[in-house]
Amino acid sequence: MSFTNRIDEWMKEVEERPESAITIVRLVLKRLRELTQSSEELLAENIALENGSRVEEYQKRIAHLEYQLDMLKQRFGMDSSTMADLPQSESSLLNLLVYNAQGRIFRVELDSDAKQIGHISGDMITDKEPPRLLTVSSNEKLLLLFTSGRVETYDALDIPTIQPGSTWTWDQAALLNEPHAGELLACVVPFSHLPLSDFVLQISRRGFAKKTLTSISESIINNHFIGKGTMDKSDQPFDLTLARKNDRALLVTYEGKVTAFDVEKLTYSTEERIKLSAMDYVIGSFIQPADASLLCVTQTGKVIHREFENIETARSSASKGQMLISNARLDQGVRFMGAVAVREKDRVAILDAAGKINIHDIETMTGSGVVEAEGLILSIGLIPSMGFAPTAQPGKRAS
Amino acid sequence: MNLKVGIDFGTSNSGVAVYDGQHVRLLPVDPKNVLPEVIKTVLYITREYRCYLGQEAVEAYYSDNVNRQRRFVKQWAGEIDYHGADMHYVRDIFVYVDELKPGRLLQYLKTALRKESYLGTKIFEKFYTPGDLAKTYLTLLKQRAENVLGETIHAATLGRPVKFSESPEQDKKAEETLRLAAQEAGFKEVDFELEPIAAALYYEQSISKPQNVVIFDFGGGTLDIAVMRLGGNSRKVYASGGVDIAGSDFDRTIIEKRMLPHFGYGQVKHHPEIMEMIHAVPDWMALPELGTPINKNILEKAIQSRIAPARLKALEKLIYNDLAFTFYNRVEAAKIALSKEGATVISLEDKNIALWDLYTRHQFETDIQHYLADVEKVLLNTLAKSGLEPGHIDAVVKTGGSSNIPLFTEMLARIFGADKVKQSSAFSSVVAGLAIKAGG
Repeated sequence: MSFTNRIDEWMKEVEERPESAITIVRLVLKRLRELTQSSEELLAENIALENGSRVEEYQKRIAHLEYQLDMLKQRFGMDSSTMADLPQSESSLLNLLVYNAQGRIFRVELDSDAKQIGHISGDMITDKEPPRLLTVSSNEKLLLLFTSGRVETYDALDIPTIQPGSTWTWDQAALLNEPHAGELLACVVPFSHLPLSDFVLQISRRGFAKKTLTSISESIINNHFIGKGTMDKSDQPFDLTLARKNDRALLVTYEGKVTAFDVEKLTYSTEERIKLSAMDYVIGSFIQPADASLLCVTQTGKVIHREFENIETARSSASKGQMLISNARLDQGVRFMGAVAVREKDRVAILDAAGKINIHDIETMTGSGVVEAEGLILSIGLIPSMGFAPTAQPGKRAS
Repeated sequence: MNLKVGIDFGTSNSGVAVYDGQHVRLLPVDPKNVLPEVIKTVLYITREYRCYLGQEAVEAYYSDNVNRQRRFVKQWAGEIDYHGADMHYVRDIFVYVDELKPGRLLQYLKTALRKESYLGTKIFEKFYTPGDLAKTYLTLLKQRAENVLGETIHAATLGRPVKFSESPEQDKKAEETLRLAAQEAGFKEVDFELEPIAAALYYEQSISKPQNVVIFDFGGGTLDIAVMRLGGNSRKVYASGGVDIAGSDFDRTIIEKRMLPHFGYGQVKHHPEIMEMIHAVPDWMALPELGTPINKNILEKAIQSRIAPARLKALEKLIYNDLAFTFYNRVEAAKIALSKEGATVISLEDKNIALWDLYTRHQFETDIQHYLADVEKVLLNTLAKSGLEPGHIDAVVKTGGSSNIPLFTEMLARIFGADKVKQSSAFSSVVAGLAIKAGG
């Protein structure tokens, strides 16, 4: 039926029931508005197609997807010959990395029952930075971020393992990429979940955050540079994490402040997320996982445990954060050395000033409220109970 | 206590009611529905054979199916014996089955009972006859009613159309199938009452003196008419009649006359496979079966060859995105809207579908005009059988969703006079009357 005939039929309705005219006009106008809007969208699309920007956009997307695919292949230990045989992908082990600011990294294979991991002899504090602990899967892709904003990527398997339970010296640690003159190793980050993430989130020591789209990660890796993500000269990068749109990020500071913010609401420029006193700095930053809670440890082994629901999301970028250490205790010199998001069955590796690395159960820590250590606590690292997405478990082979 | 209820197992909607001798209580068997006392006659059966009915079935269907993934696997379906003049061989037959299909939505269960050609349907590994489907629905409906009442239901009076089928054998078979289904659903005693007579019993509660009444029960599946004497001690059925014309036929007509061009009708020629798909759109039983990889391939090739690409893409999406149920609902909603408004819009929006059609009451009445003559003929025949003239009728009681269509109201007013035409509750007068019969 032609459109003219259809209009004739509508007119007949109006002739029979004149009151229908208003309804018809209203419905046609509504449709007209929808079509106008749709027409504008199509025109914009047409322009984008004509000037080639849409083609470029799709080319970039394809390149990004190819890069993500490569990352996933590496994550699951696959090459093209094994792609068709997913279930037989290489199994992975849970490893603890211990690294210092000079770029020295130990890799220890974790056992589910192990309590004492090892003992590091020699200087524990280098360039005013204590060593840091990180648990990763042996198939993990690692990104090394230096204080200059330089980045390098390696496989966890590139780092030789060291015998657990013995005494190690920093000379025995791998030096994957020596820091250039004037720079330090800021952090080591597990990076293979990049394809499943929307943003790369950089956190600085002074509480600044910078969000970058993962879609440009290929150029970051190729250029070996992401930037410092800082505003002040005295500031330096602290951590880098992968985030998704609906994630909530948390920062915990040396002087016991905590703040939370929605990743999606961050701008793409470097912005201050917490106002810190002159002596304060960030000691923990992470994305809040589901069903987890916050666990902080002071230098003397006091354990502070808080539910995330009690931590408000800061609306302003100039938040002062919530205090987790009372003023009286602050005056006594109590400070946080580490903060992690934990679940009930997780464990935590703790490095003390004597160089000992021991593992403690979360349930025991939160139950007693303290954690025993030979010296002052320098650093903590989370050992998740469920291993790493998708399947790794501590001390067990995961396929 | 032997509790007996009235059950209206309707083509589109059903209901359950009880009568305590004074008052009828309609049971809220579908709390999720806008009218909890009315439950859609739809059944959703999942791959694990979990069954849902009413609004819950619709919601489960939507959440499981719309825009879901499909994965077709070739399955052996049987074999065919070829007998030639000097040879005989057996050939295997394979069908493509969507192994990710999470469940099947079934509607018009009552229509299935009266269709001689419909033997049943295979739902995953089990074959369901029309009786099995009715039994499954009635079992769940009984459970719902028992949950509301807090006691076991012993027996039921079920409504039935005046004619399930024009064929007396099929009519008897349909009633027996429904009786067996109800018994298997757990009703120890089952009896039937004609739906228009049930509606009359309910109307009788509201009159103070005897009347000659025409019950005009026009629902989703059938038109049922009864000419009766009601009131006092003089209840008498003068005549009854019916025809299988009703709401679902009007929906089908709207689709055939107005919707098919949106899916390529009139633009696609010389492609019999595609034409067959287009012609299956109005058939709610055939449409879901079209979703095979072969058909998808045919449609995609045609789209690539620029044969009515936008229309055929819409057809592809209708079939492969499980939008059929939404589509039929939109058509039905437009039909209902035209009982009050002079114009409405039938629309279906999804990725690659932008169906929009302004539809007026004039167009609708033109489209279903041929049914008007049939309906009027059945009405006048039934009246003639009763031996009464229109002037002898005191009231014409309309019930059922289709009785609200102005074209038929005007016909009744023309024959009997507008003052005699009375609207009874469209969805509850039959079930209320069945409860009165059950409790009487």
